[in-house]
Amino acid sequence: MQRILTFEQTPPLSVPLRFFLTAPLFAFAAALLLLWHGSDAFATRWSPVTLGLTHLLTLGFLAMCMIGALLQMLPVVAGVVIPYSRLTAGATHALLVLGTLALVAGFLTGVPTLFKVAIPMLLVAFGWLVLAGLRGALNVQQGSDMLTAIRLALTALGIAVSLGLTAASGFAWPLSLPLMQITDLHAAWALLGWVGLLVVGVAYQVVPMFQVTPTYPRILTQWFTKAIFVLLALWSAASLLTPSQPGIWQNIFAAMVVCGYVAFCCITFFLLWQRKRATPDATTMFWRTSLGSLLACSAVWLTGVLFPAVAGNAGYPLALGVLFIIGFGYSVINGMLYKIVPFLVWYHLQNQLAGGCAKAPNVKQILPDAMAQKQFRVHLLALALLLASTIHPKWVASLAAVAFAVSSAWLWLNLMKAARVYHRMMASQPAQKDATAT
Amino acid sequence: MTTPDNEIQIDVCGLEPPEPLERVLDALSRLAAGQRLRVVIGREPIPLYRILENNGYAYQTHSREDFLYEILIWEKDKS
Repeated sequence: MQRILTFEQTPPLSVPLRFFLTAPLFAFAAALLLLWHGSDAFATRWSPVTLGLTHLLTLGFLAMCMIGALLQMLPVVAGVVIPYSRLTAGATHALLVLGTLALVAGFLTGVPTLFKVAIPMLLVAFGWLVLAGLRGALNVQQGSDMLTAIRLALTALGIAVSLGLTAASGFAWPLSLPLMQITDLHAAWALLGWVGLLVVGVAYQVVPMFQVTPTYPRILTQWFTKAIFVLLALWSAASLLTPSQPGIWQNIFAAMVVCGYVAFCCITFFLLWQRKRATPDATTMFWRTSLGSLLACSAVWLTGVLFPAVAGNAGYPLALGVLFIIGFGYSVINGMLYKIVPFLVWYHLQNQLAGGCAKAPNVKQILPDAMAQKQFRVHLLALALLLASTIHPKWVASLAAVAFAVSSAWLWLNLMKAARVYHRMMASQPAQKDATAT
Repeated sequence: MTTPDNEIQIDVCGLEPPEPLERVLDALSRLAAGQRLRVVIGREPIPLYRILENNGYAYQTHSREDFLYEILIWEKDKS
């Protein structure tokens, strides 16, 4: 008989759920900030409001969900032991929430003390997670391709956080730092390294499993994330050697990274096209939007490289940011939350109701697809309006903010509905509650 | 060794999670005394194992050459 130890380490429902239920609130806060400042947020990527908005979305939403998902997935799928999982979840969540709020307040007000508060909080939160995750991930002898992707994504996160905190130190103390260069490296490792590699690694598992498609080609899963990581390292080295202007090698390495992600998008589109179910569900629509945005982002980037006049436009880096952060990262996470949260609720109920063999409500009852589909349409509208704001921010930015506020609030309400099903059913079976539920 | 007559086989390949798990639990609830359940599935059903262990079932996993998995399940005290 095969001994399976991994499932014994399934973390309590509260471990991932606290991250998933907090993330939409940060997105909602970003929408309110955009509504407050309107078109000013689209003036330049370097404005305090834009930096604040970006970090509400990247730290508050993307990283929040990705950390929650990692704390859930590492023990269950990869057999990675996260030491003190409840304490790790509680502490990293609290530090990430407070650190993000302090950092964003620092950007908005320019008060150095707020950066001095944010830096140690974010350092401990991410340092703890990266070290605990990497230590566990490296101890697993025979890792899957997904685990390799997670190791590289966590390493990229470590690099991105180090660069980000170095840049933040320039706001906290009177240091003379090459802020623009550090920021570009920080953004590349955070978005193309941490976000991109983790989404790709998770896609290897969840696209075939939840979208019921054929599996990814072996050659892609074996080499893709390693190649992207090495190319990012080479791009960084080229950037450091020619800091004043983008050199030819910098563009070549960047183009290779972009080509890699384009290939990933095309293969995933092809797999989704072959899915065995005729009707696409909300998550399929979010996947398509995410992949389409990443392809559009690549096309916009290439246009900027070929036509420097386009790259000189203030809206150019903002369009890249909207397409990557909201279009690619936010969309795919939003879509995956609609699979992860009902599945976890169903799974914990299944295990805890009447010893594991009683009927828990179906996942489609826990979170009906029609509710997710409606929120998807608002998200798509918000994405289109945000993109239009990078070209014509004048009044479109406020409209985009309203659409994004409705979308993020709706996501939160949908996830809360699923969480309430769990609490309602557990409350009706008090004798079956066990310690893992809390 | 149980004869195939004493086995029920279900194929849950190509179903979206958690439907395979739900079908296995349904089949288990209808299993007669001494009967075994053979499940054919596209990937190793790790979440199923703890449910089986918690409910007095034993299981044996076999990885097939066509990349599918076969899980043979029986009640511990009745086999």
